[in-house]
Amino acid sequence: MASEFELSRNITIGQYVPTDSFIHRLDPRIKLLIFTVLVLAIALNTSYVGNALGLLLSIYLFWASKIPVSYGLSGIKPAIPFIIILAVLQLIFQGNVFSGGTVYFEYGFILITSESIRLVIVSAVRFVEIILLSSVLTLSTSTTELTHAIQSLLSPLKKIKVPVHELSLIITIAIRFVPTFAIEMEKMMKAQASRGADFGSGEWWRIIQRTKDMLPIIIPLFNIALSRAEDLILAMESRCYTPGNDRSTYSVYKALGRDYLVLFIGLLFSLLLLFYPFPY
Amino acid sequence: MKGTLTVRNIVIAGVLGAVAILLGVTRLGYIPVPTAAGNATIMHIPAIIGGIMQGPIVGAIVGIIFGVSSFLNATVPLFKDPLVAILPRLFIGVVAWLVYVGIRRKSEYFAIGTAAFLGTLTNTVLVLTMAVVRGYMGAEVAWTVALTSGIPEAVVGTIVTLAVVLAWKQIGKGKKSRISEDL
Amino acid sequence: MSGKPIIEIEDLFHTYMIGTPMEHAALKGTSMVVNEGECIAIIGHTGSGKSTLIQHFNGLIRPDSGKVIIDGIDLTKKRIDIKALRRNVGLVFQNPEDQIFEKLIGDDIAYGPFKQGLPLKEVRERVKWAMDMVGLNFEEMKDRQTFALSGGQKRKVALAGILALKPKILVLDEPTAGLDPRSRNELLDKIKSLNKLENLTVIFVSHNMEEVAYLADRVYVMADGTDVLSGTPEDIFTDKEKLQRYQIGTPETVQALYRLKDLGYNVTTSAFTISEAADEIIKVLTGGEVENHGK
Repeated sequence: MASEFELSRNITIGQYVPTDSFIHRLDPRIKLLIFTVLVLAIALNTSYVGNALGLLLSIYLFWASKIPVSYGLSGIKPAIPFIIILAVLQLIFQGNVFSGGTVYFEYGFILITSESIRLVIVSAVRFVEIILLSSVLTLSTSTTELTHAIQSLLSPLKKIKVPVHELSLIITIAIRFVPTFAIEMEKMMKAQASRGADFGSGEWWRIIQRTKDMLPIIIPLFNIALSRAEDLILAMESRCYTPGNDRSTYSVYKALGRDYLVLFIGLLFSLLLLFYPFPY
Repeated sequence: MKGTLTVRNIVIAGVLGAVAILLGVTRLGYIPVPTAAGNATIMHIPAIIGGIMQGPIVGAIVGIIFGVSSFLNATVPLFKDPLVAILPRLFIGVVAWLVYVGIRRKSEYFAIGTAAFLGTLTNTVLVLTMAVVRGYMGAEVAWTVALTSGIPEAVVGTIVTLAVVLAWKQIGKGKKSRISEDL
Repeated sequence: MSGKPIIEIEDLFHTYMIGTPMEHAALKGTSMVVNEGECIAIIGHTGSGKSTLIQHFNGLIRPDSGKVIIDGIDLTKKRIDIKALRRNVGLVFQNPEDQIFEKLIGDDIAYGPFKQGLPLKEVRERVKWAMDMVGLNFEEMKDRQTFALSGGQKRKVALAGILALKPKILVLDEPTAGLDPRSRNELLDKIKSLNKLENLTVIFVSHNMEEVAYLADRVYVMADGTDVLSGTPEDIFTDKEKLQRYQIGTPETVQALYRLKDLGYNVTTSAFTISEAADEIIKVLTGGEVENHGK
């Protein structure tokens, strides 16, 4: 009952768990680069063997980062029934679309082929792989490190006039304000509940009424956010912040031999997933 | 200065990005409606508002932040795929901006509402298209979802966007309070 | 003035986020009794549990253990009439002007009464009464835009939005924080007249000791999740040893009188209203001090 309003409890983005493992100590730029490449490689790989390898790698990385696997999987639990239903639906209806391979079962519009089974299994495994990988990244890298990494990975784009520093400042501001707004929202929900508001107890078919029930917290949320923005704009302008200027950073990263080795292995693995014609 | 990253654009994009992330990680971002999904999402609304208020660049950036956040927080395979979760979100704010500037002269009120409606549909249509392309669902299923869930979501999006933007810009319709009328 | 108990809290415990790494015990055995018609101040440092305590008053937070009875409703029971509780206890949060969301003042104040399902006529009367109470002219202000108001006026609108619920108990969390001196004094007067004339039970959290001295019949001092001290403002502000132990500030009047006393003048340090303190100082200036030294 007390948790009815505890919004901040649900926020798991950027929850850094400092275990000081070798994964934690990797250069954040390299971590982010490998993560991006790996996720894309996994997303595009449709073979059993490729995804099994990906799964093994993500489990290994979780283990290597010394973070309990339950941290990564806790988010999935409530969704498991939904995932199963989705998988069954895919299995029943997708045979007609992905009709390659051997036909195992056919009845009316239901068509189950080796290809549709592959699709169902591979997308479920892919899902677990990406959950684990993104958890390793966010649990082992502080948000400051991540922002710096994004900035420096994007810096080659400066040559083609992409405002890299400004983009990473936007990300920093966004991440910085999430907890602030969460606290404000918690207060707002309590304040409106004190005035007799109840969120989501109206008849479920009355869409407009239900939406209007949320306005007492949604309007103040945006108002608070935008007025914070006005304050920040004023503060930055009065300190003569000028977009587009060159600026130095406080922390400087230097990749070590170890980092390059990890990068090399990661890229090799991704290339394997992308281009090797796995038989299954 | 719609096209460049001024201090104002940077800060507003960041703050709206924070709202998008917050809506995504709490149940605030979902309004229960009678559809197959059971919820209408309002997490994309910061992108629409960013587009309307500050132009296409801010709209697109807020959209990407929303996309990355929904990708990182996804608990279903469909949205754990970056091509479904992130890419389509880029266009929400851009479409909203195009629609808004296109008809702003006629009526501010009407322009904001239409921008929100079409911005929301952009989200639904592009996500479902990617879902079909990537093989998560068949075209028939996608059409059903688009009609049963996309339309209510667009209605919800329009109501919320109008309420928020009109409140912030202090544009009033209705000059009399509900309690003004004499009995 | 003090009637029968309307709030009874005994040995209240509350812990936030149980079972997470952020687990944090906010209340560790707090007790408190408030009688009908009293005006109670709660003081204490940030993190002492004040906000957690007052959120129990209208059931936003439910007790982990201990006894909490608010206006006859036992909050330790599983099923309670939460709507009735929130009708009887009006809770005004810090910076309540943030919660204004309607375009027009009248509509925003009417939100709570409409949510209670009252007929339009009754809502209208309540809004008018609430606006009178906070010093806003009903006819003139009801159709004004909320977003064009000054900070002090917004806070009045927010307070009226709670008063329109016609609560028996009014709870305020730092009601004057961030207001200019004029709005502050105005608001304090409104709260005082609600308590004395409308017989509302008032409980407020404050860091401003002048305010406490001006409004409160009794004071509770919170520290580290418990009530460490309670009594009339006289009791609290004259107990120099405890003031120091719990690092409680005193009204400036009391500080001035303590300084005089330390210099050897015989003054009564419990004179904490401005006029009483002025009398004491005049006594010193007019040589009353010589007589007293003689004793």
